[in-house]
Amino acid sequence: MRVQLKISISTAIFLLTGFISQGQNATKQKLEKDTVAFKIEKLQESDMSILFSYYTQDGDNAAVTGGRGTEHLTDITSKIIVNIVLDEKRTVSFDGGFDHYSSASTDNIDQFISSASKSDTRVHGNIGYSIKGKNFDYGFKVGGSKEYDYNSIQFSGYISKTSLDGNRTFGLSTQALIDKWVIIYPQELRNQGNLVTSDQRRSYSLSPSYAQVINRRMQLSISADLVTQSGLLSTPFHRVYFVDQAEAKVEKLPFTRFKLPVGLRFNYYATDHLLVRTYYRYYWDNWGIRGHTASIELPYKINRFFSVYPYYRFHTQTAANYFKPYKEHESNLLYYTSDNDLAKITSHDIGFGVRYSPVEGISTFSFGSASRPLTLKEISMRYGHYTRTPTLTSNIISFGLNFTF
Amino acid sequence: MKNSLKIFSALAILMLAFAGSSCASVKPYQKVYLNDKEMDLAARPLEYFCNNFQSYREGASGANGGKVGGGCGCN
Repeated sequence: MRVQLKISISTAIFLLTGFISQGQNATKQKLEKDTVAFKIEKLQESDMSILFSYYTQDGDNAAVTGGRGTEHLTDITSKIIVNIVLDEKRTVSFDGGFDHYSSASTDNIDQFISSASKSDTRVHGNIGYSIKGKNFDYGFKVGGSKEYDYNSIQFSGYISKTSLDGNRTFGLSTQALIDKWVIIYPQELRNQGNLVTSDQRRSYSLSPSYAQVINRRMQLSISADLVTQSGLLSTPFHRVYFVDQAEAKVEKLPFTRFKLPVGLRFNYYATDHLLVRTYYRYYWDNWGIRGHTASIELPYKINRFFSVYPYYRFHTQTAANYFKPYKEHESNLLYYTSDNDLAKITSHDIGFGVRYSPVEGISTFSFGSASRPLTLKEISMRYGHYTRTPTLTSNIISFGLNFTF
Repeated sequence: MKNSLKIFSALAILMLAFAGSSCASVKPYQKVYLNDKEMDLAARPLEYFCNNFQSYREGASGANGGKVGGGCGCN
């Protein structure tokens, strides 16, 4: 009897295990089938984006002149991003561009003759390679930038793992920036020898991220950057004036800085026409800055191809421990800056954007039978008006064209 | 501002708890809304320029998919 019972239990367990296993396999196969079907539908195309922007700002607290004086600046920027799909898995990417600025404040590095860096052009470029696996992607990028007094080399890499059902993605990226200054002091301080101890700056970061689908209309992500910087973190031509001495000194800041921003994104497809895109960031660093940034964007789809989106962004932060306005520092302090970017500030950014993107594209260009036709898929525009307290206002207008080939 | 970390932590926990407790398994063919370009969980390409300037004009930056340091931004 006992033997029979044992056999019956063993048989039941065997059948149950087999049933569960079969069920799991069936679920897995169904899931894989769904995923495969989805992947076949989503054809990969090579694409190219061309972006332009025009930025202008004005304020009255320039760091070059010790926390007072004009901050007028204009900047014209252009950037091109090309992603070439080599096959189902491999993509090569390239991005490059320039920005040409004209700055009234850097013209005051030398208050007697016009400074060489009153206008300058920065050029930058990156090349990347990425591999797309079934649920595991990875890639890397190298690049650099060059301007009159600052050169930078950049290395970055990422890995990401997506769940089988595609509803969760965990990512990890890292970045290293190796920068070198060409030291330029304010004109009146140039006969005092070396005023800074290094001309190098290093920045390293590790950035984990997690994205989660909540339901058919909602998804969110959380990401963080663990950033460590070392080297010359001050700007050698920023002046600081003191309450107890007439002569200025160059800005002096610690040799290291650790930053920890954490961001949350939540997107909601509220109705067939209206979406809600939100973002919140908490920022902490060991220089004493604590910041909150929140933004909301409301894309409204006028039809399937055309959408407009108003947006608003709010930012507030405490001052760095080393900041004081013009002529409020005492000269015996170890570190000092009057750069208002590190001050207690509150800012508002309000604007709108438009995006036109028909499914079949806007226009197709052919360059002979040998090459693939270039299809203009999307035109976009964005305008923003920014105000910051202490007084700084700026306006930016940007345009974008996206092609596939 | 003293309690900002607590507020942020509470908000993060609340959002993750909300996400964790109410996540539905959404099939690939049910992702019509989620696959819309406007639903990307990233900054728009045109925000690149804005984010770049804001990272210089504000001491706080990052957690937005862009550069995390480097660059002069000294004017």
